[in-house]
Amino acid sequence: MKFIFDRIKNGKETIKNPLESNSNSYGKIIVDTSTCNLCGICEKECISGALKININKVEIDHSKCLFCKDCINSCPKSSLKMTNDYKLSYFEELGNEVRELVYKKFNRSLSLRAVDVGSCNGCFLELSALNNTYYDLSRYGVHMVASPRHADGLIISGALSINMKEAVLKAYEATAEPKIIIVLGACGVDGGIYKKGYAVNENISDIIPVDMFIPGCPPSPSAILEGILKLMKSNK
Amino acid sequence: MNINDFKDELMTVGCSESKILNDNEIYSNCTQFNVQAISLLLKKKYKLKFIGEFCYEVDSSKFMINILFTNSKNGYFITLRYISEDIIVSLQDVFEQANLFEREISDLFGLKINGGKETRHIVKHEIWEDGVYPLRKDFEIDRKINEKFEINNYKFKQIIGDEGFQIPVGPIHAGIIEPGHFRFSVIGEEIENLEIRLGYKHRGIEKIAENMDANKLNLLFERIACESSVAYSVLYAQLVEKLLKETVNPDIKSFRVILLELERIHNFLADIAGICTDVGFSYPSKKLNYMSEIIKQLCENLTGSRYMRNTVIPLGINIDVDKEKLLYVKDTLENLLVRIKYIIGITLESFTFLDRVENTGIVKMKKAKKLMLTGAVARASGLNYDVRKSFPYETYSKLKIENNTEEIGGVFERYKVKIAELYDAFTFIYKSIDSISNDIKRDRPVIRLKNGTEGIAIVETVKGELIVYGKVGENNNFDRLYFKTPSFTNWQGLSEAVLDEIVPDFPLCNKSFNMSYSENDR
Repeated sequence: MKFIFDRIKNGKETIKNPLESNSNSYGKIIVDTSTCNLCGICEKECISGALKININKVEIDHSKCLFCKDCINSCPKSSLKMTNDYKLSYFEELGNEVRELVYKKFNRSLSLRAVDVGSCNGCFLELSALNNTYYDLSRYGVHMVASPRHADGLIISGALSINMKEAVLKAYEATAEPKIIIVLGACGVDGGIYKKGYAVNENISDIIPVDMFIPGCPPSPSAILEGILKLMKSNK
Repeated sequence: MNINDFKDELMTVGCSESKILNDNEIYSNCTQFNVQAISLLLKKKYKLKFIGEFCYEVDSSKFMINILFTNSKNGYFITLRYISEDIIVSLQDVFEQANLFEREISDLFGLKINGGKETRHIVKHEIWEDGVYPLRKDFEIDRKINEKFEINNYKFKQIIGDEGFQIPVGPIHAGIIEPGHFRFSVIGEEIENLEIRLGYKHRGIEKIAENMDANKLNLLFERIACESSVAYSVLYAQLVEKLLKETVNPDIKSFRVILLELERIHNFLADIAGICTDVGFSYPSKKLNYMSEIIKQLCENLTGSRYMRNTVIPLGINIDVDKEKLLYVKDTLENLLVRIKYIIGITLESFTFLDRVENTGIVKMKKAKKLMLTGAVARASGLNYDVRKSFPYETYSKLKIENNTEEIGGVFERYKVKIAELYDAFTFIYKSIDSISNDIKRDRPVIRLKNGTEGIAIVETVKGELIVYGKVGENNNFDRLYFKTPSFTNWQGLSEAVLDEIVPDFPLCNKSFNMSYSENDR
């Protein structure tokens, strides 16, 4: 009975469009080239190697970025700015083929299996946040399933630790075709902050073919959702 | 006994040298021949709490083994240390949990455990090449562990017989969970033994930390376990401030408490929701998860990161906060609390819910003490210990007046303790917001650490007591950082809790503990 009162009083909580830009979230960093004098302070501040000064331009590789904002805070000219554009997911070479395949075969429904290979658990917290009533992932036809044999693909997070290598390869073998692989987080791209660790030998893309990267540290639920939807929607 | 008296007392029991550092740390030297006897004496006569054991390299082929104790009544640490060349004197007969620490040292430094029964690998899995000891100084920073081709199997404890059978689970689990292996030995329906094997996520954080500049180290600390990002960064701030003997202004201290408690709220809401999910009570679970999401968005609004990362830094603060924003936080929380209380009230009135959680997964007080459980889990078993009260940091000496404890130590008690701490967190935030008078301005001083200094810092995360030992080396880097994470010992409590329960109750027990794999493996 109390449920019903609560329900009537508070109405529905699921938002209409979780992809709407959130004014507080972090996103792409832009450089104001008119004020930047290439002093190199930001390059020294960046521990993940995402920001580099190349000839006479500041180049930012958002896939490696930890979004710590140290570069922005350290810039003496305030040339760097953070936008709210969280849409950072991108396809690997094979991605386009997969996209068409997904659309044809699954008619917009997708089952994924989550595997963590050595992260801080941030990506998984955000992935499980996607299942709450605010975002409600399942209304898009995307489900997290309990076994790789039920899945169309894997969603992997973290830097590949040597102890997890065998397990992730086995999960990959057990996954049903077309074996879509989505990688979450900066440490999934190139080891991120852990890349100097002795137990992180390879990247995930070295041992299994990756279709899509969703960078961020951790990527916000909207960013993960945007990536998955991009994979599912044919742009034809 | 106060710290000065105890320092002198240590000399009478056989220690050769004792010194006090940073006001509340005693370092005493002994030898590998009398360490066992002294440890036993510290446990039996002085009632000190054993909290860990770690090692660092003094110079080539000489290692310093440190055994860490606390006196939580008077609030100081005792480190008993001896130099060894190739062995660790096993304390497994004295402390039940010592084997965990010894096995970790043995894997990473290549020392032999002398006299202990349990010597299996923890961190070093079968795939590692032989003869590599990554935390030694002669193991270069860029070097990687190679894979081995011939693999021997790990020896699990198992029950053999007509009735008994084993259920292996993991390392990859059903659901969105981190990796770890569980091996249940079951007779009929009941679990006779549960063996937990972890270390799958080992990334070598302690080695990475040794080669990072102290000004950037807070980023790595935050990435040990995401759910306790703030606690880890406060831990780092505590350590550096202790080493430099400096402190921050009271407004920043109060602000840190706000962040710590916001983190506690979103974690405990998710924990409570998780318990409801595993019972199959979906309405409260969905609503509480939703509220946890709202808190995370509030954190994002306040600091620009959903997990409040890179906000707390040593000696300062990394963002600007105005008073208006804090009042907005207070306002949102006040509105939310009414609803949280209503929903939690629903669960406490439901008979089917109570039937499932009461008298399930019990860890008795005596066993909890032996297993060195910490945090909400320990308080549910009746251990009256909270870092915020025994070793108050930031402004907790004013805020934390009493610990929340329960008696039986089952799932329901852990549920109740978490609810009580959740409500406490709201009051702490209100008080802290009221005590901040001015706007907080970003302030990031450069850290310069002094070579050779050492210290211990301690905080209470959502999982329990978290300790770091830091020893400064050259070039503003740390020579050794050791983390004693709450999950490292608490995982063993889960093995105890599920005994004589049925397998389907395992997820419920697990969720009531909700330990972190990532901070355990490091």
